[in-house]
Amino acid sequence: MNAVIEPARLADFFTIFFTSAMVILLGALYALLFAYSRIKVMPRLMPLAYASYLGLFVSTLFLAKAANLLHHPLWIAVVVFMLLGYLLAPHGIWHLCVGTHVDEHAETKDVVQKSS
Amino acid sequence: MATNQWWASESFWRKTAIWVTGGSLIVLILLTVDTLPQIAAGSKRVPAYSTINFRIEYKYDDSRHAQVPVIGMKEPLFGKELSEQDAEALVKLGKLTTQSKNCMNCHTLLGNGAYYAPDLTKSWLDPNWGTKELREDQMVEFIKNPSDKLHNSMGRRMPKLGVTDEEARGVVAFLKWMSSIDTNGFPYNFKPIEQED
Amino acid sequence: MAATIGKLDSANLNGGQKLAVKYFITAMVLFGAQVLFGLISGLQYLKPDLFYEVLDFNVNRMVHINAMIVWLLYGFLGSVYWILEDEAQHEVVGLKLGNLIFWVLTAAVAVVVLVFLFVQVGPGKESSIWLINEGREYIEAPRWADIGIVVSVLTFFYNVAATFSKGRYTGIGGVLLLDLLALFGIYLAGMFYTTNISIDQYWWWWVIHLWVEATWEVMVACTMAYALMKVLGVRRKIVEIWLYIEVALMFGSGILGIGHHYFWIGTPEYWFTIGGFFSALEPIPLVAMVVHAIFDAGANKIKNSNHPTMAWLIAHAFGNFFGAGVWGFMHTLPQINLYTHGTQWSASHGHFAFFGAYATINIAYFYIAMQQWRGKVWMAGDQIGNGWKWKWSIGLLNLGMVGMVMAMLVSGYVQSQIERAIEGSTWAGYFAAQAHPWFVQGMWWREIFGVMFAVGFVLLVWDLMTVGKHETRSMVEAKSAE
Ligand code: HEM
Ligand code: HEM
Ligand SMILES: [Fe+2]
Repeated sequence: MNAVIEPARLADFFTIFFTSAMVILLGALYALLFAYSRIKVMPRLMPLAYASYLGLFVSTLFLAKAANLLHHPLWIAVVVFMLLGYLLAPHGIWHLCVGTHVDEHAETKDVVQKSS
Repeated sequence: MATNQWWASESFWRKTAIWVTGGSLIVLILLTVDTLPQIAAGSKRVPAYSTINFRIEYKYDDSRHAQVPVIGMKEPLFGKELSEQDAEALVKLGKLTTQSKNCMNCHTLLGNGAYYAPDLTKSWLDPNWGTKELREDQMVEFIKNPSDKLHNSMGRRMPKLGVTDEEARGVVAFLKWMSSIDTNGFPYNFKPIEQED
Repeated sequence: MAATIGKLDSANLNGGQKLAVKYFITAMVLFGAQVLFGLISGLQYLKPDLFYEVLDFNVNRMVHINAMIVWLLYGFLGSVYWILEDEAQHEVVGLKLGNLIFWVLTAAVAVVVLVFLFVQVGPGKESSIWLINEGREYIEAPRWADIGIVVSVLTFFYNVAATFSKGRYTGIGGVLLLDLLALFGIYLAGMFYTTNISIDQYWWWWVIHLWVEATWEVMVACTMAYALMKVLGVRRKIVEIWLYIEVALMFGSGILGIGHHYFWIGTPEYWFTIGGFFSALEPIPLVAMVVHAIFDAGANKIKNSNHPTMAWLIAHAFGNFFGAGVWGFMHTLPQINLYTHGTQWSASHGHFAFFGAYATINIAYFYIAMQQWRGKVWMAGDQIGNGWKWKWSIGLLNLGMVGMVMAMLVSGYVQSQIERAIEGSTWAGYFAAQAHPWFVQGMWWREIFGVMFAVGFVLLVWDLMTVGKHETRSMVEAKSAE
């Protein structure tokens, strides 16, 4: 039976700090690009949004490796949850932005129609 | 989707906010009910105050991949074995002293506090006290009169805080007891003072 | 209310607002004390003999962080009084009592600080905890003051609850009221003595963590919601739905996120996964807030009637995201927190988060207050002197803070490696890290950026005292918010 946590190795400290910062930063970038591309109706930005997510995905895997998260089922669940959750959250946030602004002004209606 | 969706409506989110908050709070309370007995003095993780009557070690445990406190042979603090009540009274005096002298705004205890001075979690086991035989007196003396005892190249000294002899012994008892708490391996890779006879 | 534009005149304020500005002014004084004692503490890292056995590090640090807690809370109380009448559409109920309590509370704070500075420590008895110093980080105020705080806060709560009841309950009002109840209720968890250090810290974190990562976040979400209506003219309905969304996300992640403080204090191992999992959720509400703010800015044609306030609100959104979200997550997994726990890492995150999330939004409110106090004066573009004072002060404060945070990060990185990982946190290991050149340089740069921060603070005071003084144009109201 593995211990609940497996402390990081000294050599992995930097990777952990760096990738965990990247996870959050790229998550925000992905969410922003996603929303921006829809608001401004700029579908060309969408690949960039997903590229950010790809970066997030890779960062999460590196983080998982460096922090020894793949040694224990509970932590694997956390990793999977992060990968899925951070993929879906920006969609959710975007839909909420639009959904809560429906009876807003004309411009917003345009946005809604074009994007849905 | 020009009309208001239920999942974007005010009433839906008001209810969600209430349920999520209430739910989280209830889970936290249930976990608290489960945790508190596990950290009561005299439990497996947080030993009784009379543990100061014994040798305390900090050893690597293979199954937990971490160092854990090990309570060893009888080794009473200041050579005097105390009843549970007396031990608690002494540790209490020490804990109260650490609070009223504001130790925590220089040191960390269990890793919480300030970062101007060393962590005290395993201070009882620190090789800095020289030998096991000298340790108790050294600690009492240091806590009472630290001003002239410079231990580092930084020039950082602990101030004299007006700790009495009795209080200093209480503090040492508190520190010894605290070192017996199972902190899940914090501090990591700690190198304890030699305690074998 | 037809006062001269640009002139400081209390006739421009409603009853609650007159009380609010008292809270704001006191908050600024305490902010000044925080900066001063922060600089002294930082200097003691570099010159340990400075004020040795006169004003020791622990005293200065205690005043530094307590001044912070109190000024931020004063800012919150002031902000609530500021919006109360407008939000409830009713005069503040029991305002006289509220005023009296302001003076009582402020006198108590003054006495506590004087005792901290001049009595400092007491004997190891419970009477010391009652009269001098509780000796627990952030909530050092002695027990008599705790009781005074509880009484004051109950009065404050009465003011707010009664005003909303007599007037009208809005969504913001409802959330605010429940949140205040939780915020003050939690304080009780820090008001008892126990010898058992594990149980002591268990409850201590209820106060600290459930404040800053739950109830305070919701508190500022409320004042932010109001500010968005007033400054940007966002419609109430939208603002309130988003407030509920934020409450759900903040409490849903933040309450159990407390697990990240229960790794090493004696508590069972299941807190590892709870802490890790919910900490991973905690940045989501912060991202949601940033995205929604940008969406609002894009969807509404922004009419921003108060530039300094708007700038500080933006600083709040980013500061909260970086300081709490990014900096928090970087050291939150137990696999790494084992090494960063209780190092300059924690201090780096603590500074960034407290300043970014809370100092910023309070300053935004100070500007809202000044605008109104000077008779709804113009505070949009091309202000007199091109607004150089507020621009420089916001720049210096934020740059100073980010500089300090980065400096502490470097020191913390070295410390986590040398002290925590290699040397194993013994005394010798601690000082090996403290003496490392990178660590020492980090501490120097912290102080240098601290001075920059202090200059920004002085400019901020000057600007708040003078902004809009010779202005003759009046404010352009944001679109109707109802
Ligand atoms: C505005 C929100 C926040 C504020 C004001 C804040 C402030 C602080 C402060 C002052 C400390 C140091 C406490 C001490 O003195 O021991 C701390 C510790 C900590 N914070 Fe935060 N924090 C916030 C949000 C977060 C978030 C969102 C996370 C995680 C994602 C987080 C993770 C942590 C962790 C893991 C520690 C423990 C550090 C240690 O082990 O020493 N914080 N926080
Ligand atoms: C001139 C600017 C400042 C300087 C030089 C300064 C310096 C310091 C120092 C030396 C400490 C003690 C850290 C230790 O124990 O080693 C400290 C702690 C702290 N300061 Fe500051 N500070 C400044 C401004 C601020 C501001 C503006 C805030 C927040 C709004 C803040 C929040 C804190 C907090 C939360 C702690 C406790 C951190 C922890 O325990 O992890 N400080 N500061
Ligand atoms: Fe926390």
